[in-house]
Amino acid sequence: MLRNYFASEIVASSHGPHPSPLPTGRGSSIAARHDGCDAQLQRSPLTSRESSFSLREKVRMRVLLDAICRSRIALKLVSVALLAGFVFTTDLRAQDAGALLDLLVKKRLITDQEAEEVRGELTRDAAATSAGKLKLSSPITEIELYGDMRLRYQYNGGRTAGDTPTAAAGSGVAGLRDWQERDRERYRLRLGLRGTLADDWFFGLRLETNASSRSTNVTFGDDSGGANAVFAKNSDGIFVGQAYFGYKGFKDVTLTGGRMPNPLVNTLMVWDPDINPEGLAEQWKHTYNLTFGGSAPAVESYSKDGKAVAAVEAEPFKVRLDLFVNLAQFVYADSNPENVLGSRATTTGNGRSQLVPNTDAFLLAWQVGARLNFPKNVFFQIAPTLYNYTGNSDKFNIHYQGGSPTLTNAASLAQNQTGINSLLVFDLPWEVGWKVGELPMHFFGDFAVNLEADARAAAAGNPGRGDQRYAYQVGAGIGQLKAKHDWQIDVWYQHAEQYSLDPNMIDDDIFDGRLNMQGIGVKAGYALSDAVIFSITYAYGQRYDNALGTGGTPIAIGINPLDRYQFFVADLNVKF
Amino acid sequence: MKLTHLLTALSLALVVTEARAEKLVIKGSDTLGAKLVPQLAEQFKAQHPGTTFDIAAEGSTTGIAAIIDGTAQIGMSSRRAKPAEVGAASAKGVRMKPTIVAYDGIAVIVNSANSIKSLTKKQVEQIFTGEVTDWSAVGGSGGKISIYTRNTSSGTYSDFKELAMKKRDYAGGSQKMAGNEQIAAEVGKNPNGVGYVGLAYTKAGGIKVMPIDGVLPSVQSVHAKTYPYARPTFYYTNGEPSGLAKQFLDFTISAAGQKIAAQVGFVPIP
Repeated sequence: MLRNYFASEIVASSHGPHPSPLPTGRGSSIAARHDGCDAQLQRSPLTSRESSFSLREKVRMRVLLDAICRSRIALKLVSVALLAGFVFTTDLRAQDAGALLDLLVKKRLITDQEAEEVRGELTRDAAATSAGKLKLSSPITEIELYGDMRLRYQYNGGRTAGDTPTAAAGSGVAGLRDWQERDRERYRLRLGLRGTLADDWFFGLRLETNASSRSTNVTFGDDSGGANAVFAKNSDGIFVGQAYFGYKGFKDVTLTGGRMPNPLVNTLMVWDPDINPEGLAEQWKHTYNLTFGGSAPAVESYSKDGKAVAAVEAEPFKVRLDLFVNLAQFVYADSNPENVLGSRATTTGNGRSQLVPNTDAFLLAWQVGARLNFPKNVFFQIAPTLYNYTGNSDKFNIHYQGGSPTLTNAASLAQNQTGINSLLVFDLPWEVGWKVGELPMHFFGDFAVNLEADARAAAAGNPGRGDQRYAYQVGAGIGQLKAKHDWQIDVWYQHAEQYSLDPNMIDDDIFDGRLNMQGIGVKAGYALSDAVIFSITYAYGQRYDNALGTGGTPIAIGINPLDRYQFFVADLNVKF
Repeated sequence: MKLTHLLTALSLALVVTEARAEKLVIKGSDTLGAKLVPQLAEQFKAQHPGTTFDIAAEGSTTGIAAIIDGTAQIGMSSRRAKPAEVGAASAKGVRMKPTIVAYDGIAVIVNSANSIKSLTKKQVEQIFTGEVTDWSAVGGSGGKISIYTRNTSSGTYSDFKELAMKKRDYAGGSQKMAGNEQIAAEVGKNPNGVGYVGLAYTKAGGIKVMPIDGVLPSVQSVHAKTYPYARPTFYYTNGEPSGLAKQFLDFTISAAGQKIAAQVGFVPIP
């Protein structure tokens, strides 16, 4: 828009004399230097700085110069147009102005001194704008501020089983088929900054409310502090959710380190979407464009009503194949210290004693995947993954038990719910998508199996129950949420057995972050504007194997086994 | 009574003399302030008896700051004022006005014993950012490269960073010198030294100037803008200069002033 303004201004002004607002100084011989201008334009190749402009910009620049060169009296008007255009247009990048001035000086249409004065005016004007007051360090080549804020109503309800032992009745003591329910009004804020740096480096930072790895929510009105608890701020903390940087200098490769967005293709059956893992990730992705057929005519030429009809070439069948590999080495838990003073301590758990481990725990992931994009918006993606855990640190060293229906609720909850022993999980997330008219649809799902479930079950005190090793999810969706008035509905069924997955990472909303649960989930959303989405989510789950507890640290409901569970949220989310 | 009259007359004469001895405070660039401006000042004083100068050449940043703070009438600068400086000036009601007083080519210098004959722009960038640390990597006969740069308040420091290094940071081990003469002296003493100086300082002993992509810094190559590290140098004033500052500025860009600039080693305004 700006450069169109320049061009029209110059052309309109080139038919009559106009006084220049700029001092002539040493540029008084400017008209004399104008001789041969056309020839200069014709013969001078674009300089390296000009070469950095887009083709459109180059064309506009040429139009501008051409207009100047067509009239001797227009020479001073270059400065008029430049000054006027720049002063009244606030979104012009300073470097554009600098390059244009350099070009005008090089073409000897204005003097260096005149250029400096215009440049000074522009700098002064730019410095007065909001953008001009913002200073970025020179290695930053691009930066983006982004985030979202959400208001949420949340309901969680869980029920005890009808056949587990009960403790003596009392306040807060679970009875049979006893419901615990919670209503909460909550908000969350996520504020991020990400950008690229010189030489193919990049970085990202995101601040989030809530210190939990699996939540960014703050509950209204839950502050502690006696009389000062009303509208207090002690639960409204700001925490570093993401802090990472990486390198993209090798073809098709992205290397990332830090506390990062999850680099793995996954579903919420295995990974809570709020988790930002810490460690290293190496990603490779390459796109292959494949063409099948199309060389031979599909229909031979023939004659119709005495007229020759040309042969019809068969349309080639084009497929785009994205192959990708994602490798990750996440630091799951740090042992501190690795080398203790004196002898190592002993810990007792699950009825046995052992030395407290003095090595860190790592989660290693190997993912190889493919996405096939067929014509007409049809795609299929699959991403087989192997998760392996090495070490268990001094924090996850007690073997996982997961609760028991043979104990009272309090005793069942007190069993170990977090141990990461004997987990070697093969995971297979997949998705198929297509469009009917303009309406996107998809099927999605996930299948996971713990290859060391026998040992995990035995360590939990349930030898022979290693058959509880599978988890799966299958669902369907229609619509999308990209722009105002878009809508989307997803429905899915999920089943996760007691020894199948890491209970510390599964989504904590659907089924309260528990294993040995199965049920349905429904999520529906509507975009009130491009930036505002209203959505509701409902899930209903029940215990799968009644002989086992429902493993996993209780997130909202203090019941184990969690015999029935309901979850509902209504969200108003504003993205910016 | 006569003695009283005489003393009164003498006092008045002293007051008048004091009032006519105007002082011009000039601060800023070492590139301009070490040689050119003092020589211009001497010539100017010869034409304007009674004028005194206070010249402080401690880097372009100090010159621009002095205009913003109002502690100098002229700020010498070998670089353009940065947007932040212009913004700070505007906030104080100061209007930074640049006037080109001469041109300069930032010459890349090496020790005269160095076997290297020329450098490319890419090699200069690699040397000063520390990507290359041995002369053998750029066609020399070997030896760890010692880099000498100006200090961070220097306009040449930031101009060179912009013109030659794509705004990248200098190598960690680079040594920061207070002025052009110090850089030339250090490079002259160190067989593995490399640095940059304004054109006026290339006559120092023990150094040689490197052609960049085959082009040596000269009056012709700077005027033709074919030398890649050419730049204008400035006087900054608060708005249009007036009084003594205007007289000195006019003298600087006059034929007589430009002749001095050429003699000192700068490239005069064409």
